[in-house]
Order: sequence, then structure tokens, then C-alpha cells
Amino acid sequence: MKGYTGKTLFVNLSDGTVKTRPTDMEIARKYLGGKGYAVRLLYDYLIDYEKKGIAARDINPLGEENVLIFATGPATGIVGFPESGRYHVMALRSPLTGSIASANSGGRWGPFLKFAGFDAIIIEGKSEEPVYLEVLDGTAEIRCAKDIWGKNVFETEKILKKRAGRRCSVACIGPAGENQVLFACIMNDEHRAAGRTGVGAIMGSKKLKAIVVGGDSRPEVAKPDEFEEVSKEAINKIRNNPVTGEGLPKYGTAILVNIINNAGILPYKNWQTGYNDKADEISGETLAEKYLTKNRACWGCQIGCGRVTAVKEGCFQILYSEGPEYESIWALGNTTGVMQLDAIIKANHLCDELGLDTISMGSTIAAAMELREKGYIPDEVLEGLDLRFGNATVLVELIWRTAYKAGFGRYLALGSKRLAEIFGAPDLSMSVKGLELPAYDPRGAKGIGLTYATANRGGCHVTGYTISPEILGLPEKIDPLTIEGKAKWVKAFQDFTCVVNSAVNCLFTTFALGAEDYAALLSPVTGWDMSAEDLMKIGERIYNLERVIISKYGFDGKDDSLPKRLLTEPMPEGAARGHVVELEKMKEEYYKLRGWVNGVPTEEKLKELEIP
Amino acid sequence: MKVRIKLFATLREKYGKKELAVDAEDFRDVFYKASEVLGKEFLKEVFQNRELKEFRDDRIITINGRNIKDIKDEIRIKEGDVIAVFPPVAGG
Repeated sequence: MKGYTGKTLFVNLSDGTVKTRPTDMEIARKYLGGKGYAVRLLYDYLIDYEKKGIAARDINPLGEENVLIFATGPATGIVGFPESGRYHVMALRSPLTGSIASANSGGRWGPFLKFAGFDAIIIEGKSEEPVYLEVLDGTAEIRCAKDIWGKNVFETEKILKKRAGRRCSVACIGPAGENQVLFACIMNDEHRAAGRTGVGAIMGSKKLKAIVVGGDSRPEVAKPDEFEEVSKEAINKIRNNPVTGEGLPKYGTAILVNIINNAGILPYKNWQTGYNDKADEISGETLAEKYLTKNRACWGCQIGCGRVTAVKEGCFQILYSEGPEYESIWALGNTTGVMQLDAIIKANHLCDELGLDTISMGSTIAAAMELREKGYIPDEVLEGLDLRFGNATVLVELIWRTAYKAGFGRYLALGSKRLAEIFGAPDLSMSVKGLELPAYDPRGAKGIGLTYATANRGGCHVTGYTISPEILGLPEKIDPLTIEGKAKWVKAFQDFTCVVNSAVNCLFTTFALGAEDYAALLSPVTGWDMSAEDLMKIGERIYNLERVIISKYGFDGKDDSLPKRLLTEPMPEGAARGHVVELEKMKEEYYKLRGWVNGVPTEEKLKELEIP
Repeated sequence: MKVRIKLFATLREKYGKKELAVDAEDFRDVFYKASEVLGKEFLKEVFQNRELKEFRDDRIITINGRNIKDIKDEIRIKEGDVIAVFPPVAGG
């Protein structure tokens, strides 16, 4: 049981019970931990519900029956395991998409949960009154949160840390989560977010304001001498790698703005084009030159991509903030046409303070701007707001209004899919399965289009980051404009990413480390002899079980799609000019590789992967 | 032919320039002409061996946004082309 604490906390907010049960090591062996462990438990909940006569499709994402899981893995909190300061959040259903909810965050909350003595926390039911959970040194208590309900993320953390009276970490929701904005996130350690799929709204629906974790226990390693050796080797690889050793520490993820724009795939003004001749104004280079004050790394991280920034003067003044990282700069800036870094930093800060996912927030505002530009949103709904692309003041104002569902904000709080449907132009929502797409236009990187379409949680890049080979040339360069062989890359990246999210550590290690390195690291930690092939099989098992779950909600091949714009409107300019995504051809090849029919795993595939 | 060459990330910082215009005869000449402004050392940023024949594998070099590794034919330049050079970068 080395690498794990061996204990899992089950909290039922409906009846107020807290139970500790052993972490199921048979499941851990097959699903590792983190995301994999959570997916397996969620599947069991679904089967139980079915036995009780509750169909998966009838589960209300914001209802008592939704189950929310916070999970670490065998890597989390292990000193010497590269970038092991993360945790994974999952829930049966996302209020934004209706699919499985899944999000991942850094900081130090993940390790601190293990130091508190637990591998995972499972939240069932729903509280009548606002509560928070305090998990310190092996004990857990549900406590009243009436006095902090309504507080923002930073205030909440400060109060609860003081109240705990010891070194701890807080994951919480802000007003956006309380108000059940469909893309509210869970924040921890001030600026770190389990950002996507509305996991913050689920916490809000359960009246769970925060989870405080801390303790003095430390996870043990099965073979310390062997681990020390492979750990040194892995850390050296990370330090000596030009990306993880120099590029990311120096510029953070925002270094991507220029290279992605140069490739003609940086979506501009709600994806009307993929090139913006002013992108350098909001680039990582400009951020470093004008606003960066220092780096801030997550627990146990050698890379330190986190940015500490300050806007010293002007109407967007903010004297301490963290970020924005690449996706947030793009979503709040490039796609809304706001080319002012000071406004983007302020907008990003507000999203963190109020608990909003920056990708969905920025993309929903951008969709609203295009809806307005094309005449779909009438003046009376806007109450005087000048909803033009590039309006920085309106960007900041709309973030407030969304978090509190004030005025036009009540429409934005529903996400871009519902917004575009309400105003009669559903194709202007740039989302897949209802989740707003991230910052790469697949018309100029076809593989990432297949990733978006087939991602179980909806339009997502971090479940299969094929931008790495297509644009960045890592681990090898492949042509972004062709579709040949992309299915194989996407499958491999999706499976491997499941391993990383179940280990749980940071995806950025994969710029320097491969599956062999992970096997070499995880084997001495757990004491299990695992090969790279074993791990890839675990990853495949997790991806397939997740797919089984979403198929129970009614998702199938028809939902593995892309917005019409990307399939039918050729890219108007840049390196990908004239290109659309030839999705169906890639999908056909992908399903064959996966052993799926119409987007659903076959019985043979499930048997092969030993999925129940 | 007059073309533009753009530098990014650490290269921009090291050479103190975001971009420069050069009058070059062919694609390779773009970098030689740029080195007349940026210094001979710049050639080592782009070419991998002492003979300066092969492009460095760890650099991302593009012409009008297309990575030269993805271009199968001989690379020809034309008036107004934009060449970009990036050190290894990544994010997510």
C-alpha cells in the first residue's frame, strides 16, 4: 500500500455523516488513483443508482444525487516525484455539459490532502445550510459556513486558514459557485483552479463552501533507494530539457501566444480567424517585460511556470495577482478582441476571486460579442452595455455580472452553448458537448480537432495535447495540416494523459518524460512492477470506462463533433488558409483503433480491458 | 528579395530585436544576412553543425507560419515572406 495513505473519506452532506474506509487497492492496481480511481468509483455509483431505479440520464448535475470526488494518486505528495503537487476532481455529471465532470488543479492542496491522511474525499448528498469540511491530521468534521457564504475566494481562504490554526490548504468556491454559474470552478491556494466543467457549481449546489486539508502524515515509498535513483534521473531530465528547464520557467505558458498565432491557429474574435497581427501585445514575452514580478511554483515543482504579476497603475490596477497563463490570456483577450494585457490581468484576477473558469468565461463573452455583432442580441437585453469586440471595460464588468447573475450576466452564466441557443444562433457557440473550446484552432492542427471531438468531458485540449507534436515538434514533428496518422497520436496521448491524471502529477512533465519514465518512477513508489505497456493499458482502461459512463447519459458518435464553423468555414488567412477539419475520416480511423462502434466501446473491448 | 525575420522568446531577449528586414537571395541566405546585423553567433542559433549545413533540430523555424520540417520540397522565398525562429517552447 506504499504511495497511498490507504484511507478514503466518505462524506454525506444530506445526513451529515463522515466515514473513513480503506482505499480499495484492487481498484488502485487497475486504475492507479486520481482520475482513474474516481472514474471507477463513479461507475459503481451509477450501477447502484440503476439498481435503485434511477437512470443515469435522470441524474441532475445540481441535485442531491450527484457525487463529487477529490482524488490524489500514488505520485501526489511524494518528495522527489516530479511535479506531484496536483489533485483531480470528478463528478458524475457536469451542469454545463451533462457529461462527466472532470478538472485538475495544482498548488499544494493535493499533497496536503495526503498529509491529512487521505487518498480521496467522496462527497455525497446535499446540505441544507452552507457548510465546509475540515480535514486535519486524520480527522474530518463538517462545520458551519454561514458566516463565510458570500465571501470571495481570497477572503474565504484567509478566514479558514486562520480558523484551522495550523499549516493547511483550502479548496473553495467563490460567489460564482454559490450562485451555480454553470462554469464555476473550484479554487485552491488562491490562484489555482480545478477549472473546467462547472465543478464549482456542483459544490455550490451541495452548499459546500470549502474543504480545508492539512496534516503531518507523509506518504511512504515502497523502495526508497531505487526511487531515489530514478527520481534524480527524472528531475535531471526535466531540468536539462529546454522546454521544462528554460522555456516554461522563464516565460510560463503564455510563451505559446506568439507561436500559436504564427501557426495561424490562435482563435481571434470568437474563432472568426486564426491570426491576429496584434497578438504580440498580449504575449508571454510582453507579459514578462511589463507585468511579471516573479514565478510561483506548485508544491514539489522544478518547473515553476506560475506567474506573479502586477498592474501598477491605471483603471485595471491590481498590485498582486497570479497568472494569467496562456489559455486565460487567449480566452479573456484574443478571442474577445481585448488586446490590453492590463485588462486581461484584471479580468483573470476577478475570475480567480469570484471562482470562474477563464476559458468558458472568455469564450462565452466572445460568443455574446459575435451574437451582438451579427444582430442576434437586442439592445434592451444589454441594458446599455457596449458589447463590442475589444471593449476591455465591458469584459471586466461582465465577469462581475456573470458571477452574481446580474442583468445580462444571467445569460452568460449559462455558458456559450445555451446563450447561443437562446439568442437563435447555436452555431456561434464554439464548444463541444457544451464545453467551450481552448486556444487552438483545429483547422490548422487537425489532430487537436479529433481530441476536442472525442474528449469525454467535452471540448478539451489537456486530455490529448497533440499540439505538442503538431506545432511544438515534441516528441517529434508531425504535419499539422494532414489527417494521416492523427487517430493513433490522439489515442496514445489520451491514454497517457489518463495515466498522468491518475498518478496524479503535472502534464508538463510529459514534455521531458515518457511512459517508460513514469513506469520507472511509479514502480518503486508503489512496489508494483509496472511497465510502460502496463501503464498505457491502465490509461486506455480509464478512458474507456469514462466513455462507458458518458454513453449511459446518451452521448455517442453524434456528439463526437466540432462546431460547424470548424467543419465548413475555411480558415480565411495564415498558414492554415483554406483548411477545414476533415473530422469524419479521422473519427472512423480513431473508432477502429479504439474498438468502438458509434463512439461506444464494444463488449469485446471492455472484456479485453477487464472493465466490469 | 526583401523578407522579414522575426525572433521570439529568449532569442528576442538575447539579440535585442523583435524583427528585422533582410534582402536575401535564398532561404539559407536569410539567416546569413540576418547574422550581418545580429552577429555571427546568430548562425549557431539556427544551424546545428560547424559547417552550418543542417538546421538545428531543436529550433522551430517557420516560413509564413509553416514549419520548415513540414515542407517536403525545396524552400523558396519570395518578396514579403515572413520567417520566424523560436527556441524550444511549450505550454498548455
